[in-house]
Amino acid sequence: MTNGEIRTSDGELLSVKLKKVESRKRTGALVLVLPLLLFIIITYIFPIIQMLQRSVDNTQMNDLLNNTYQVIQNWDGTDFPPEEVVKTFYNDLKYLSENKLHGKIAVRLNYEKGGFSSLIKKTVRKLDSFDIDGNYLQQFKDVHKRWADQEYWLALKRATVPYHGRKYLASFDFKQDFDGSIVRIEEKKRINVTLWLRTIYVALGVTLCCLILAYPIAHLLSVLPTRYSNLLMICVLLPFWTSLLVRTSSWMVLLQTQGVLNDFLVFLGIVADENRLELMYNMTGTFIAMTQILLPFMVLPLYSVMKTISPSLMRAATSMGATPFHAFRKIYFPLTYAGISAGSILVFVLAIGYYITPALVGGAKGTLISNRIAYHMQSTLDWSYATAMATILLVGVLVVYYVYNRVVGIDNMRLG
Amino acid sequence: MQRLTKLISLAALLVAPSMATAAEVNVVSWGGAYTESQKLGYGDPYQEMSGVQVNWLDYQGNLDSIKSQVESGTITYDIIDVFAKDTITGCDEGYFVEFDFDNDFPPAPDGTPASQDFFAPMPSKCAVGNILYSWNYAYHTENINFPGTYPSTIGDFFDPDKYPGKRSIYGSAMSNLEIALMADGVPSSEVYDYMLDNGIDRALDKLTELCTHPKGGCITWSAGAQPPEQLVSGEVVMATGWNGRHFNAIHTEGSPLKMVWDGQLLDYEYFALVNGGPNQEEAMKALQYFTSTEGLAGSAKHIAYAPFRISSLDVITAAEPWFNSEATGPMEIMPHMPTAPVNTENYLLLDPIFWADNETEINDQWDAWKSNTL
Repeated sequence: MTNGEIRTSDGELLSVKLKKVESRKRTGALVLVLPLLLFIIITYIFPIIQMLQRSVDNTQMNDLLNNTYQVIQNWDGTDFPPEEVVKTFYNDLKYLSENKLHGKIAVRLNYEKGGFSSLIKKTVRKLDSFDIDGNYLQQFKDVHKRWADQEYWLALKRATVPYHGRKYLASFDFKQDFDGSIVRIEEKKRINVTLWLRTIYVALGVTLCCLILAYPIAHLLSVLPTRYSNLLMICVLLPFWTSLLVRTSSWMVLLQTQGVLNDFLVFLGIVADENRLELMYNMTGTFIAMTQILLPFMVLPLYSVMKTISPSLMRAATSMGATPFHAFRKIYFPLTYAGISAGSILVFVLAIGYYITPALVGGAKGTLISNRIAYHMQSTLDWSYATAMATILLVGVLVVYYVYNRVVGIDNMRLG
Repeated sequence: MQRLTKLISLAALLVAPSMATAAEVNVVSWGGAYTESQKLGYGDPYQEMSGVQVNWLDYQGNLDSIKSQVESGTITYDIIDVFAKDTITGCDEGYFVEFDFDNDFPPAPDGTPASQDFFAPMPSKCAVGNILYSWNYAYHTENINFPGTYPSTIGDFFDPDKYPGKRSIYGSAMSNLEIALMADGVPSSEVYDYMLDNGIDRALDKLTELCTHPKGGCITWSAGAQPPEQLVSGEVVMATGWNGRHFNAIHTEGSPLKMVWDGQLLDYEYFALVNGGPNQEEAMKALQYFTSTEGLAGSAKHIAYAPFRISSLDVITAAEPWFNSEATGPMEIMPHMPTAPVNTENYLLLDPIFWADNETEINDQWDAWKSNTL
């Protein structure tokens, strides 16, 4: 026995042997989770990083017009660019048109300023007739009067930088002015801020509606005898198992002005035939359909919490003289906080990114920011704009999560 | 022996899909009655003639699916039916194949080269003409809101005092701004010059007046099948739409709708060949048949869209009555074409270059307007 060290039967130090066994176990565990980890990295983390990059990446334009970029940055943006810049741009354009790449810059420049699409094409058609010893700026202006508008040259300067955050500015209806200062865009073109606020408003509203509707259901589920509560549970879960699209379309059938609900109300004489209620293609439709669709996400966490609350607690409170309301407020309600917060955050996060339902039943007044993202993905093909907005949405959700964790603590979350 | 059979069947399994893909062509179009007319008019005949299977897929007219297919490197579309402005964008981005027009497309039966047989020059090198169609509006003839008198001008669409009830308009700015200006008294020849010169604000004011009017109101449509549906269901009293869809509702399905041609917007529709599509060679051959004199005349048998080739119109005129359905029996189709003289007394030719240039900016303003007004 030396220094009281304990050795195993094969003569190794116990502490060393223990560490070895532990690390082998850890490796084993790691190997087991490795497929999942790789799966998450490849299908989740990697696309998100790509998305972040795409929202600021302008390297394609920068590559195509690299020579122009090198010189146009020295132009201070006053008056017109100097002759050297215009000449370089001419040479770049000539090279691009010979390699049939000018279409790509036409599309991208058009995102910066409308009118570039045809401007570039018209200019390219006339490139061969340029006098290479003459005044380039004047010749550009002769090709098309838009080149005499300084805005187009400024847009060219803005559009050739390799990385930029302009899409983030645009997501909040701001733009960079010609002198570099950040200003709001024209009032009649402001749309994004309205939609952000509306998205938050709808998400909060839907969460509240879900909570009000789900609380009594969840309570009933937790106190009813099993054979009734099972039936009720199936009623809650059945829509949960039905396709989202089917449920949304069913709401369209129900809510139309000539739909089932209106027909019924007219039949009962509650509303007049010529004054049918507008329940769809507006905010009401979005609210009704989203609340119904997200309801199970509120019921289940609430139920799982309520199930664990012993009925004797309420009985004890009433036996000591509390009114039922008082007992509920002081005893029962605080015990369901974990369920309320879990359900609320779940519904809120899902609602904030909702897309199909508002697109189908929302009309113009019920569309949300996700529909705007879809618009830029599908119609304008300006994916960096769409990814910038998606990134903002992602950051927003992370902020909500962070606040939740600080206020409630994520360990208290009960999801059922 | 058993092993050998297994091997052979395995080999057959591996070969079969590649054989199948060699003999099919995927065509993307707008669905509904329009795709049906294309399928019956030239899709099925070509399939019978060549043995190449023609698959019809639906879309809502956005290039995003092409863009994502190109970016991910798995292109599944071969031929796509597109707006003029999208042939411009798609061509610029390199999504579509550039044509050598007279060599790629067959001449008319009398030998006129393709480029002269088509009504108008193509908006880009990647486009081959398909039809001329119209954005006009229709109403329900049995509608109780119109006692005695029926709408007949584009101004009537914007007059809810005279014709009360909700309207359905296209969900994007294109077409709405033009008709609003025409209804406001701008001559059709000046609409586009006027557009960038405060014209957009004026058009939106006109639309605001209609859509916020207590007797008016607007909803929007995005798929071509929607306007007739909304009219038939009574959701709206008037709806803008594509004339072929209205025509189909009236003459094929027998719905009591009526079209108003005053202030119609004439527009061309095109085919494009997707660059790097799975069956590009077969697709080119199919496209040559689709856009031949016979092919284009064929689709007009089923819908009132004018074929892009002059020679196809000659074929139709010579063989009238060209249209036939259960609801109508044999019927002359030429008077129902958007190009018929009775229908073109006051019309505007849609300008694709204007929209390719300004669509993004105008739609920002349009969406802001829509979100605050509708």
